[in-house]
Amino acid sequence: MTTITLPSPRPITSRLLSVMKLHFANPWTTITLPWIILGTIFAANLAIWALIFMNTPASEHAAIARGFQWSGASLYIFVYMMVVAIQAINVTFPFALGYGVTRRDYYLGTSLQFVLLSVMYAAGLTILAEIEKATNGWGLGGRMFTAAYFGSGLTWYEQFFVFFAMLVFFFFVGAAVAAVFVRWKATGITFFFIALGVAVLAALYLLTLTDSWPAVGRFFETAGWLGSYAWSLIITAISCVVGYLILRRATPRT
Amino acid sequence: MTAVIEVDGLTRRYGSLAAVDDATFTLEGNRIHGLLGRNGAGKTTLMQLLTGQEFASSGTIRVFGQSPVENASVLQHVSFIKESQRYPEDFRPKHVLRSAPWFFENWDADFADRLVDDFRLPLNTRIKKLSRGQLSAIGVIVGLASRAPLTFFDEPYLGLDAVARQTFYDRLLEDYAEHPRTVVLSTHLIDEVANLLEHVLVIDQGRIIIDQDADTLRGSATTVVGTRAAVDAFVAGREILHRDGLGGLATVTVAGLDEKERAEASAAGLELGAVSLQQLIIRMTNVSEKEFEHSA
Repeated sequence: MTTITLPSPRPITSRLLSVMKLHFANPWTTITLPWIILGTIFAANLAIWALIFMNTPASEHAAIARGFQWSGASLYIFVYMMVVAIQAINVTFPFALGYGVTRRDYYLGTSLQFVLLSVMYAAGLTILAEIEKATNGWGLGGRMFTAAYFGSGLTWYEQFFVFFAMLVFFFFVGAAVAAVFVRWKATGITFFFIALGVAVLAALYLLTLTDSWPAVGRFFETAGWLGSYAWSLIITAISCVVGYLILRRATPRT
Repeated sequence: MTAVIEVDGLTRRYGSLAAVDDATFTLEGNRIHGLLGRNGAGKTTLMQLLTGQEFASSGTIRVFGQSPVENASVLQHVSFIKESQRYPEDFRPKHVLRSAPWFFENWDADFADRLVDDFRLPLNTRIKKLSRGQLSAIGVIVGLASRAPLTFFDEPYLGLDAVARQTFYDRLLEDYAEHPRTVVLSTHLIDEVANLLEHVLVIDQGRIIIDQDADTLRGSATTVVGTRAAVDAFVAGREILHRDGLGGLATVTVAGLDEKERAEASAAGLELGAVSLQQLIIRMTNVSEKEFEHSA
């Protein structure tokens, strides 16, 4: 018997594009739902700001607005992106493999997709933050997209970078967690979080015992808002690579 | 002849269990192969190994001459929708059919539409609300319309009624005639697919116990019916696969007979009958179990 010689594979760009499109085949989970939820939270916040605004004397509005800067409302969108990443990988990985996609192409395409989504959400959030600044908090002194932890005194592109860095961070940490789940299921997740808990505790102990907290403080002070967010990209990159190393040996199971 | 799949000494262990145990076989191109065996025999694991979804513990696999594992050149020619295939939960069938052509260059959308009508698949219902049969229909439609040069069907009929199953067999044969490709069909409804198959692999407890042309296999056994004395005299010294008796009559399944032996049997007043593929395989798997018990 002779063996067939295969034509060369489709170019990698076309293969990755297919995987990216797969994540958009039904945009509900990755695009529609997050914006709906964000919109709902925003509407609820507006209502609360208005309520407070109407029921407090004008002289206190400035102080109240300072309190608003600690709003955690939009933090939700970042954590939710981790959920999106986990869901997306968990449901599309076995499906894509049935379509004859290699794990490598799947992970690369999915990663590009996450970066694309991060750019999209970061752009949206930056626009909302700019509007919030320009309208002095939607006319109510409200702060949702310019909350304190998104940095202060940043230009729009610096603001965009902060949002982007946070988004890719949560996407790729989510990708790594999803890879653990896809490969080792619930047992893997249990051990993963036990290990993570132990590691965090160990780090806290170490920092405390070695009196390193001031050094940590100085680190963030020196790095500044932008620098600190830039450093997070290292953890993001590590998560991305670890996610691939785990998924590379995963098999779709039922 | 062209080998599409070449497997040598392939084993996949899960702990102490060998789901696929030292399998060696070759599958020719442009034929319909049956991968038959009982539930849990190792059919799905074997197909997952052949499609690079599962990793071998030892042995080699060549698909189109290359290892399928993480090999885009090979896998872009492969379609494998598992019986237990998971679809993205928020998908509806229309999303599956919309995304399939991005991965299968031979995808035929018109054919897919016709199959949707044939199987009465609702396109706009959420995947998790579909019945078992409708889920199977999606797998069948993707498997057929993708026209992948190497297509695997893993128990594709679960939950499909008899009419839908016949539709699947008919469409498969029609389309295969027009667009020859290599099909591997795993099933335990052997009689239903017997006429489709050109080559048969039977797997039992992870081992390949039959690897034969379907025609050769069908001719490999015969039932001999007659009076007990005449049957006993005729089958003495032959390999007996199965024996049944009622009163003074006996029915014995023996390994294939040649022309001369058939004439002898007729002369002895015995009736000869064909053995269905299903009966044959049931009997052969029983034999292998007994052999296994003896050797254990």
